[in-house]
Amino acid sequence: MNYVALKMLFGDRAKYLMLLCGLTFAVMLIVQQGSIFWGLMMWSQANISNLNVPIWVTDPGIAQVDEVKPIASTAVDRVRSVDGVEWAVPLYRGLLRARLANGEYHQITLTGLESATLIGRPAEVLEGRFEDILQPDAVALDQWAVERMGGPTVVTVGTIFELNDKLARVVAIAKTQKSFTNVPVVYTTYERAIRYVPRERRTLSYVLAKARDGVPVADVIQRIRAETGLGAFTEEDFGFKTIMWVLKNTGIGINFGTTILLGFIVGMAIAGQTFYLFTIENLKQFGALKAMGASTFTLARMILLQAFTVGLTGYGVGVGLATAFGFLTARGGNLPFAETWQLLLLVLVALLTICLVSASVSILKLVRLEPAIVFR
Amino acid sequence: MIVMKRMSVWLAIAGVGLAAWVLMGANQKDPMPQPISEPPRSPYPHTVAASGLIEAVNENVRIAPPVAGLITKVFVKVGDQVTEQAPLFQLDDRELRAQLLTREAAIPPLQAQIEEQKYKVGDLETQLQRLRSVHDERAVSEDDLKRTWYALEMAKRGAQRVQATLKQAMAQRDEVMILLDRLTVRAPRRGTILQVNFRAGEYATLGSTEPLMLLGETEQLQVRADIDEVNAPLVVPQAGGTASIRSLADHTIPLTFVRIEPYVIPKKSLTGENAERVDTRVLQVIYRFERPPFPVYAGQQVDVFIERHPSPTSGETQPSPVVPTEQPS
Repeated sequence: MNYVALKMLFGDRAKYLMLLCGLTFAVMLIVQQGSIFWGLMMWSQANISNLNVPIWVTDPGIAQVDEVKPIASTAVDRVRSVDGVEWAVPLYRGLLRARLANGEYHQITLTGLESATLIGRPAEVLEGRFEDILQPDAVALDQWAVERMGGPTVVTVGTIFELNDKLARVVAIAKTQKSFTNVPVVYTTYERAIRYVPRERRTLSYVLAKARDGVPVADVIQRIRAETGLGAFTEEDFGFKTIMWVLKNTGIGINFGTTILLGFIVGMAIAGQTFYLFTIENLKQFGALKAMGASTFTLARMILLQAFTVGLTGYGVGVGLATAFGFLTARGGNLPFAETWQLLLLVLVALLTICLVSASVSILKLVRLEPAIVFR
Repeated sequence: MIVMKRMSVWLAIAGVGLAAWVLMGANQKDPMPQPISEPPRSPYPHTVAASGLIEAVNENVRIAPPVAGLITKVFVKVGDQVTEQAPLFQLDDRELRAQLLTREAAIPPLQAQIEEQKYKVGDLETQLQRLRSVHDERAVSEDDLKRTWYALEMAKRGAQRVQATLKQAMAQRDEVMILLDRLTVRAPRRGTILQVNFRAGEYATLGSTEPLMLLGETEQLQVRADIDEVNAPLVVPQAGGTASIRSLADHTIPLTFVRIEPYVIPKKSLTGENAERVDTRVLQVIYRFERPPFPVYAGQQVDVFIERHPSPTSGETQPSPVVPTEQPS
């Protein structure tokens, strides 16, 4: 019977392809849009994930990573005093204007890393040596800063520019994830960052910390909150907080949500309609089978098999196309594209729902089918 | 199997395979890059962290000039061992020297006047004696005698006055000499010159934030640890501690408790700027330490960890005083 069902499905090549195309594009649309959406969300928290540090401590009222609320500089020692904290180092982060030699101005994010350890520095360096930022007036850029400031002909290792009227010399270019706002990041040491920025009463933006091995991070965070009165977050929580802020304050969530929903609806409509038509056109064959004594249950099983076969095939092709699209376009990091297995699983469930719904409509038709239809 | 004969199925399998391969590669998180030097870690399970400054055991002396003035000579250089009262530098003394000349010149005329007065007295005394020895009242009048006697007494008083003026002139000369001596600034105690922030020819002002010279004892060093006032109650006297120099965090220096400074002071920000940023107030604890095998210097910053015994009322039940409380609206 399964053979018959598949023969029926594959027999009509044109119909099969149409069915497959509808499902494929529905899957591709959902996966691609979902991945771009998630990629954008990853970008919005790039300023957290680029530093790659487990615990962030700052003012409890913080909304997102770029909205810095400076805290007293003794906070580092207070965090170090909390049980279960293995280490804690200061971090400066703030917006500043850089003036290039050609007279252009660029808004930049100044990131001041603790000078002795350089905790929070990017893992991959494209040019130069990151450790050289310990030299006088030395800074490191990320590759997006080079791109934004005019490309490697304008900014490269050895370029000199001004930060708040003070000299800055590029010694390294690091590879980081692009951020949502795409403000170029300039890395320097914490002490030097404070000299670059205009005077403020408080200068410490974040305390970066790590829990001791074997101590649950959640406990340490709870203790930091209780003992210092500061806000402490894991990297993931803080990233999620930032994502939620972006979703709440921009239209991105609604835009992408609509597109994904449309993809789902269009996919469902195409698949359902084509599959229903397919069943209707094969009604004679089903009728013959019924007349030969096949039970409704067997017929239903055949329909489901057909639906799931074409569904899974469409899913595979769609996922493949979307992945290939993402792989080819987003490899350089210029396009937000983050495919996750959660998304693929979700799409699979959605697709199977589409198949199930359209199959049930056809099954309903079959149930009411008179075997006599063959003779009409 | 009929399914396997279709191209679309193979495409589907390839698509899922590609997705799986990309996912495996893309969603791997890079581990954090190794810190270029170890971050300071507490050796104790419960700790109070502080930032400390290494200083000379007898607190450093910030040498100041007694008066504002031009510096003409510097007798010592950085690193010199000086004894108590050793001259450190010389302020411009020409004005006082000029004064001294006039003051000294004022003395010889007075001395000459004293001599002069002496002869005057002698002369009048002889006159009076001569007049007294004549017994004939017609030869010497009572009036002459009286007049000579008065003249003699006047001359004697005059001598006394000149004598006093001489003393005054000498005192004025001594004053200038003492003032001159004051312009040579001397070491108030034995020690090493840690800093010399001026050169000969510069003008020393009073009350500048940067000391002209820093004098300290570098043979024995101590650590002054700043503890946030919020953590101040957690520090118990005699608590053990360790310190580590920045960028050399894996070499810890064991500390011995000396004392807790009883007065909580505003934290000094070591940004090197002349205006002070007051963030918060800090409790200072003094620790002694043996010189470690690697070099340490007075004025170096250290990360300090002080041992803490967990209080019976843990921080989780007792809210921190800095937690913002809801304002009744």
